[in-house]
Amino acid sequence: MPDNPTTDADRRASLVRLLRAAYPHPKFPDGPYERTADEILSQSQATLWHQLALTNGLDALDARAGGSFADLDDEAALALLKEIEDAEFFVFIRGVAVVTLYNDHETWELLGYEGPSFDKGGYLHRGFDDLDWLPSPRIEEYDGPEQLVEVAPDDMPAATAGDQR
Amino acid sequence: MSENSLGQPIPHDEEAVVIVGSGAGGGTLAYELTAKGIPCVVLEAGPYLKPEDYENDEWAAFNQMAWLDNRTASGSFRVARDFPNLPAWIVKAVGGSTTHWSGATPRFRAYEFQTRTYYGEIEGANLLDWPITLDDLAPYYDRAEIAIGSTHRHGRPALPANNNYKVFANGAEKIGYRFYATGPYGTNAEPYDGRPASVQDGFNFQGDKSTAKWSTAVREIPRALETGKLDLRPESQAVQVTHDAQGRANAVLYLDKDGNLHRQAARIVCVAGNSIESPRLLLMSASALHPDGLANSSGQLGRNYMRHTTGSVYARFDRPVRMYRGETMAGIVADEARQDTSRGFAGGYYMETLSLGPAFLAAFVDPGSWGPGYTEVLDAYENTAGLWIVGEDMPQETNRVTLNTALKDQWGLPAPDVHFDDHPNDVAMREHGYSRADLMYEAVGAVGTHHTPPYPATHNLGTCRMSARPEDGVVDKWGQAHDVPGLFVSDGSVMTTGAAANPTLTIVALAIRQAERIADQLGKGEL
Ligand SMILES: Cc1cc2nc3c(=O)[nH]c(=O)nc-3n(C[C@H](O)[C@H](O)[C@H](O)COP(=O)(O)OP(=O)(O)OC[C@H]3O[C@@H](n4cnc5c(N)ncnc54)[C@H](O)[C@@H]3O)c2cc1C
Repeated sequence: MPDNPTTDADRRASLVRLLRAAYPHPKFPDGPYERTADEILSQSQATLWHQLALTNGLDALDARAGGSFADLDDEAALALLKEIEDAEFFVFIRGVAVVTLYNDHETWELLGYEGPSFDKGGYLHRGFDDLDWLPSPRIEEYDGPEQLVEVAPDDMPAATAGDQR
Repeated sequence: MSENSLGQPIPHDEEAVVIVGSGAGGGTLAYELTAKGIPCVVLEAGPYLKPEDYENDEWAAFNQMAWLDNRTASGSFRVARDFPNLPAWIVKAVGGSTTHWSGATPRFRAYEFQTRTYYGEIEGANLLDWPITLDDLAPYYDRAEIAIGSTHRHGRPALPANNNYKVFANGAEKIGYRFYATGPYGTNAEPYDGRPASVQDGFNFQGDKSTAKWSTAVREIPRALETGKLDLRPESQAVQVTHDAQGRANAVLYLDKDGNLHRQAARIVCVAGNSIESPRLLLMSASALHPDGLANSSGQLGRNYMRHTTGSVYARFDRPVRMYRGETMAGIVADEARQDTSRGFAGGYYMETLSLGPAFLAAFVDPGSWGPGYTEVLDAYENTAGLWIVGEDMPQETNRVTLNTALKDQWGLPAPDVHFDDHPNDVAMREHGYSRADLMYEAVGAVGTHHTPPYPATHNLGTCRMSARPEDGVVDKWGQAHDVPGLFVSDGSVMTTGAAANPTLTIVALAIRQAERIADQLGKGEL
């Protein structure tokens, strides 16, 4: 394939735009989307088929957008993606995106996930039970007067003693 | 020699007790037998990883240990569409899936051993009473709970309430549930059995670096090695069980990590590869005497595959929850675990706290989904509480593990295909569970809930079912094949029906009971 740096950079830009439209997180900066785009581009290199599908798919998106997909506003971009939801290149993009965008440590931070904790002594002294907007519930098993009825009276097998073979 | 062997070497031509798999069933059996002085060879397909090797990162841990050899999923269940090569989440390592298990350890209820009697004839369901009762198993449940160190049992204290549990239990109380608690759960609340108390590090579906969580990799296997009677062979995959001219199991053929074939002579063979690999191994062991697969005279081998009726509910609040901090599944509601067909289905289910990190939540919350509805769920991550529904599914003859001869694994052996269709009873139960979970969370102020479909199965059961009569199942009440002397099945695949309870406690109890039987019979020269 001819190596055309301008086109590749454009493609990366439209991929980032596409990812933002497909996985809109207003709080997210470009970093997680860019790293995801790079991962998609790199994985697409593994098979010629994905490489072709991705290139053609992104070009087709531009064409359908009447020039540049990257210039569409959020609503129009989303609507266009809905139309091509089952296109192979978009399925490929989503397959890589869900395991990359949300496996990104900056994403974790943005979503409020603190990740591994063993080296820090776990969450035992770091808020595992700091929720304070509900009362502290019982942790022991119930030992009050109510009984759990394992089998409802209507579901007891009929007294079939005489009927047994 | 590329063979990997730990412990006391046992010669290949010595007829030993050969155990395939080192998880809940195999690991327990190995410990119980070696502790009685009986030499055992354990063949384990996966490596021997230690707590310091465990990854506290969802994908890294999964890729480190999950069984990722070729497999296919077929049938109408959604997993077949979303994860066509991942019907199940099973671990390939010493310790098996107990390295990734969470720890919920309820017992079966009495009626769940007699579902044919209690549920009657249900169209499409191959219900059958177990050949044993709760009373038969009760003493072994005690021993299993003591081995695992289940909280709330035998003097073991309860784990404290973590954030996810606070939401869960308050919601349960508000809608009138009573039978909730932080256990029984197989992780130490205080130091026990030489292992420390939980530090609430939030990694349960991965190996537990602290070892507060029970697994056969941190308890049974090291102890079996200490007896000097165990020859543990990691990275050794059994590919065939053979029998002699009289039809007695007499050896296991297996591959070492470089693909060299070896033969280990056996006095008895105990298969504990979990409910996909156990029937696959027996199907691959077809012989002139057993043309449809070893121990398949009944035609039931590989059938009645069960995966529990499951589903998850993630609820969003307008305040932080941080469900990922602390023990993942230390929260159980048992109020729906009962037989009451006025709810519109037979059998019962539990609800248990559940949390995934963003990486797994993104992959599993609604596979294939994207767009603003999807990102809304993830944006609420910090304010989200989660639970899992786990209930009895109907055994169906057509839900089954077969050999997919069109697809091979890395050794050139036919991959297993897992075919599964939901039974209408399963669907009705799942819908009921979703609606009860919604009520629970709405009662404590949820602003929205999301219903997540079943994940690749962590509970895999029933493919070598136990039966009183040889024509109804694969093994007898001790787990010995009806039609192959010297062949035992020692894992969750022996379950006649699956009950609502998470299966591991029962698998361990059955293995302890089986070990006692095997030791007794070997001692009397009857095996
Ligand atoms: C994420 C997760 C959470 C879970 N949480 C819970 C819970 O809270 N409560 C509960 O009760 N259960 C839970 N489970 C389920 C529990 O782990 C299993 O029920 C249990 O481990 C099954 O025991 P087993 O002996 O049948 O198989 P496993 O423990 O899976 O062991 C089978 C072993 O056999 C090996 N093997 C397979 N084929 C071969 C072969 N041909 N040759 C050599 N070795 C072979 C495998 O590599 C594996 O190590 C969970 C599971 C997962 C994955």
